[in-house]
Amino acid sequence: MNNGDGKRLNGEAEEEDEDDLDGEGREAWERTYTDERSWESLQEDESGLLCPVDDKILHHAQYRRRLRSLSSTTTASRIQKGLIRYLYIVIDLSKAAAEMDFKPSRMAVVAKHVEAFVREFFDQNPLSQISLVTIKDGVAHCLTDLGGSPESHVKALMGKLESSGDSSLQNALDLVHGYLTQIPSYGHREVLILYSALSTCDPGDIMHTIQKCKNAKIRCSVIGLSAEIFICKHICQETGGLYSIALDESHFKELILEHAPPPPAIAEFAIASLIKMGFPQRAAENVISICVCHKEAKGGGYTCPRCKARVCELPAECRICGLTLVSSPHLARSYHHLFPIMPFEDVAPTQHKLPKTCFGCQQSLLSSGSRTTLSVTCPKCRRCFCFDCDIYIHESLHNCPGCESLRHSKSVNTAEA
Amino acid sequence: MKFQIEDVTVYFPYDNIYPEQYSYMVELKRALDAKGHCLLEMPTGTGKTIALLSLITSYALSKPQSPLKLLYCTRTVHEMEKTLAELKKLHDYQVQHLGPAARILAVGLSSRKNLCVNPRVVSAENRDSVDAGCRKLTASWVRALAEKNPNVPTCEFFEEYERAGSGAVLPPGVYTLQDLRAFGKLKGWCPYFLARHMVQFANVVVYSYQYLLDPKVAGIISKEMQRESVVVFDEAHNIDNVCIEALSVSVRRQTLEGATRNLSKMEQEIQRFKATDESRLRAEYNRLVEGLAQRGDLQVGDTWLANPALPDDILKEAVPGNIRRADFFVRVLRRLVQYLKGRLETDSVEKEGPVTFVASINNHAGIDQKTLKFCYDRLHSLLLTLEITDTDEFLPIQTICDFATLVGTYARGFSIIIEPFDDRMPDVRDPVLQLSCHDASLAIKPVFDRFQTVVITSGTLSPIDLYPRLLNFNPVVSRSFTMSLTRDCICPMVLTRGSDQLPVSTKFDMRSDLGVVRNYGRLLLEMVSVVPDGIVCFFVSYSYMDEIVNSWNETGILKEIMQHKLVFIETQDVVETTLALDNYRKACDCGRGAVFFSVARGKVAEGIDFDRHYGRLVIMFGVPFQYTLSKILLARLEYLRDTFQIKEGDFLTFDALRQAAQCVGRVIRSKADYGMMIFADKRYSRHDKRSKLPGWILSHLRDAHLNLSTDMAVYIAREFLRRMAQPYDKAGGGGKKTLLSQEDLQKMVEGHMNEMLY
Repeated sequence: MNNGDGKRLNGEAEEEDEDDLDGEGREAWERTYTDERSWESLQEDESGLLCPVDDKILHHAQYRRRLRSLSSTTTASRIQKGLIRYLYIVIDLSKAAAEMDFKPSRMAVVAKHVEAFVREFFDQNPLSQISLVTIKDGVAHCLTDLGGSPESHVKALMGKLESSGDSSLQNALDLVHGYLTQIPSYGHREVLILYSALSTCDPGDIMHTIQKCKNAKIRCSVIGLSAEIFICKHICQETGGLYSIALDESHFKELILEHAPPPPAIAEFAIASLIKMGFPQRAAENVISICVCHKEAKGGGYTCPRCKARVCELPAECRICGLTLVSSPHLARSYHHLFPIMPFEDVAPTQHKLPKTCFGCQQSLLSSGSRTTLSVTCPKCRRCFCFDCDIYIHESLHNCPGCESLRHSKSVNTAEA
Repeated sequence: MKFQIEDVTVYFPYDNIYPEQYSYMVELKRALDAKGHCLLEMPTGTGKTIALLSLITSYALSKPQSPLKLLYCTRTVHEMEKTLAELKKLHDYQVQHLGPAARILAVGLSSRKNLCVNPRVVSAENRDSVDAGCRKLTASWVRALAEKNPNVPTCEFFEEYERAGSGAVLPPGVYTLQDLRAFGKLKGWCPYFLARHMVQFANVVVYSYQYLLDPKVAGIISKEMQRESVVVFDEAHNIDNVCIEALSVSVRRQTLEGATRNLSKMEQEIQRFKATDESRLRAEYNRLVEGLAQRGDLQVGDTWLANPALPDDILKEAVPGNIRRADFFVRVLRRLVQYLKGRLETDSVEKEGPVTFVASINNHAGIDQKTLKFCYDRLHSLLLTLEITDTDEFLPIQTICDFATLVGTYARGFSIIIEPFDDRMPDVRDPVLQLSCHDASLAIKPVFDRFQTVVITSGTLSPIDLYPRLLNFNPVVSRSFTMSLTRDCICPMVLTRGSDQLPVSTKFDMRSDLGVVRNYGRLLLEMVSVVPDGIVCFFVSYSYMDEIVNSWNETGILKEIMQHKLVFIETQDVVETTLALDNYRKACDCGRGAVFFSVARGKVAEGIDFDRHYGRLVIMFGVPFQYTLSKILLARLEYLRDTFQIKEGDFLTFDALRQAAQCVGRVIRSKADYGMMIFADKRYSRHDKRSKLPGWILSHLRDAHLNLSTDMAVYIAREFLRRMAQPYDKAGGGGKKTLLSQEDLQKMVEGHMNEMLY
């Protein structure tokens, strides 16, 4: 990579050298194309238009998503999910994070997507809290404390983006372990490590630390930016987390967003317990008072129902009395995780009695051009959907249009009768 | 699973089978049907062993009227245990499906060191002293003495075994070495002698190459094997070298000094016997007059020397008169040792054929060829007569007699080379006299002649047509299989240029060029920063490794490498290397990452696996040609050219490339694994070199990867590692099946039948 410049300068000398060889040296920019031979996979449809080339990648991603939803639902149709999560995001800012194989640099890409992730995370898990930890010069450092405000995390991270030194997984895990053992038992302890380096320089036996995390029921997941590392795989296997490697930026985004929906609850913590929560009222805009979070006088915000303190944002923990403050829409938004819609079943393309269009988007389900579109069907209402709708229904909508309309028409029918 | 290959029902202990395993079995079955020899190449990690075992045992089961015996030869004890463990699984499966009819007896046979259960004996440090310790307790005269005098120690396990007599048998089953020891302890029988006894009756015997190839051992152990046997040489890519070593002897100064001491000791013994028990010597003399046929009626515990020449070369004649008397024989040996000492005093390298050498012995020491030929047998007989049990002390004189017999027996295929000093260290005088065998086919010929099917198999046998010429036999089947993979999990690359675009090579005139050394260093440095966990580097020789590591150290490259990964180095010391390997593994496990510097043809390259994260990348620095100035190699090359019409260059390239393939093959041990291989030398991009790599590497070597520079290789490595880290479907999606179930196989066979019909 870093020899790119030198190489161009030596271009002439190189050609002379290659006379006796096969003459196969190519410029760096040509290389990817010759390797992949992407032009050979170009195809025309019946009207002479070019079809998209990369549907293989697309299909792979879809297949993977489906696989994931299948695997999460095969064990039991209704799993208990950990809705109250305490997530530590560990960002590796060692020397390797400055590498430029992601543009402009690994850490810039990481920061960008952490920002998106933090927002998405709070959107999906309104009752949860996040904290950011960075590793630099072999030392782990807590950037922000556990909290429920996306803005403060993002701001803190953006201000600290520089890399140096080695990285140490053990130090990071030790630090996180120290914090996470203090949180109440109903909360889910999770660590998400975004790892750029290819090795870890540890002060002691990391296996011991992993065991400690395992005993403390901390779920560690790692997203690597360069290659599979044995120790990371080991950590994830031991603690029940996910280990994945990003191929490129978009893949990285996909991988990090996979961690947004709540994971299944760990069996030992799955006992029902009551949590005290307050539902604060929104204060009127013109009533000025000093908030406990920023210590600024302003209007709006929420008032804690127990101690009447003012907080700016929900969800939060009241600084004065320690009550968990949420709003009812937050709770409602977490609700769908508990009642997921069934995964749709694959339909063999040879069956003829199928409807011709997708029930969701009304697009044709028949094979268009050279590629065959796969279709799926809801096991309850037996409506057919295309792949895109399948993903949309499961990941964003959380309701099956077929079942909903069925229920609706039923009620109409009964009303008529 | 259970399936049909033509008329044989094959029992396979797993639910799924790889397609290449199936075709491997089909080929093997053809060879068995044809009762001929075969040569099969299949990459490591595709389950060669189990395919072999399950086909051959199933074949034997389906033809109960003609019992078939399997002799399975492995290189190391570790492999032996692995094979037996697989066989155990297979056997359980077969018994479960066929009932007691499928019961077979399978034993592993190894040296006393691995089998002895007597705590006093097995505590000795090396193999020879365990052997000697055993003989001290079990020799027939020791036991005869012990009968009279209860204070003479004997081995209780051997006594118990002897007492049980013909009742001492192993019940059917599969016995690993561990099981044998446990069984021996339980019954109080000596496992070693029990195993040696049971070898004749067992259906499957697993032992080391030497038991078949080294005529000294084969004469004792494998003499009574039936013709209807299948002999399998596993990991046999170096079989020609094993054959050659079995018939080569080297004599140093220390050997001669030791031999002189042995002779004095023997003389003393002879004097003692003359004074006390003249009749013994007399009896021996009479026996020798009648001929050497005495070996048949020796006690089982006493056989420990056998003729190094091949069975059919031993003439059924009486021992020549001039060495029948014990003291005459000792005198002859003294003259021989004296002569050899004189020859070692030379200042220049000498090379002779056996015929001229024998003639020169005859002139100077007055020992003729026939006398030489009988030296080994005569020594054997004498040592028995003198009731010598500490055989490890008599190794030097055995070596001398070994040498004499070989020189006296063979007129072709050998040469005698005397070197006053090692070429690489001309100042240190270390004379050595070598009798080196050039013809691998000599040692293996009796095996091919005696047994109906010999299977030679390995992961690297390319080019497959050279082996039949080297070993001088006609295989009925010779095939190379490739690996069916669900993804491209190996990524071989040929790196021809450094990052400054200058060519890199270990060619003699280029290897010490600073630019090349620096380019190699930069390559490794770039690689350690993109490859996780373990990296293994192979160099062409110890001296080259020392040189290059030194200069990396001076230029600071080594220090930079150490920032990314720890560095471990193989040395010639086994203990040190083992320690380095242990720590290397530890560093890979805990995520620190490590680089292992090793040498092609070294211990590590031959026997240690760097699978999974222990080896994500292997770099072969240079082409591991043999040391071409070595006199022995030159002599062998000349012989090969004259006898088998194999060109020197062809043989050298073949040998270098099989070593390189062996080295890089260390990283892939199973299909789920993945790894990269970098051949860092511009010579690899030439067709004549590259085409000699095994098919399973070549099929993954894309044209675009043939002529890379460092920066391109780094780019490819990055992409490859990312791709391989993605989850994948193990059974192979879509049309290309890589795991076959029973139904798949049936369909395949039926499809094949239909094809044949129409």
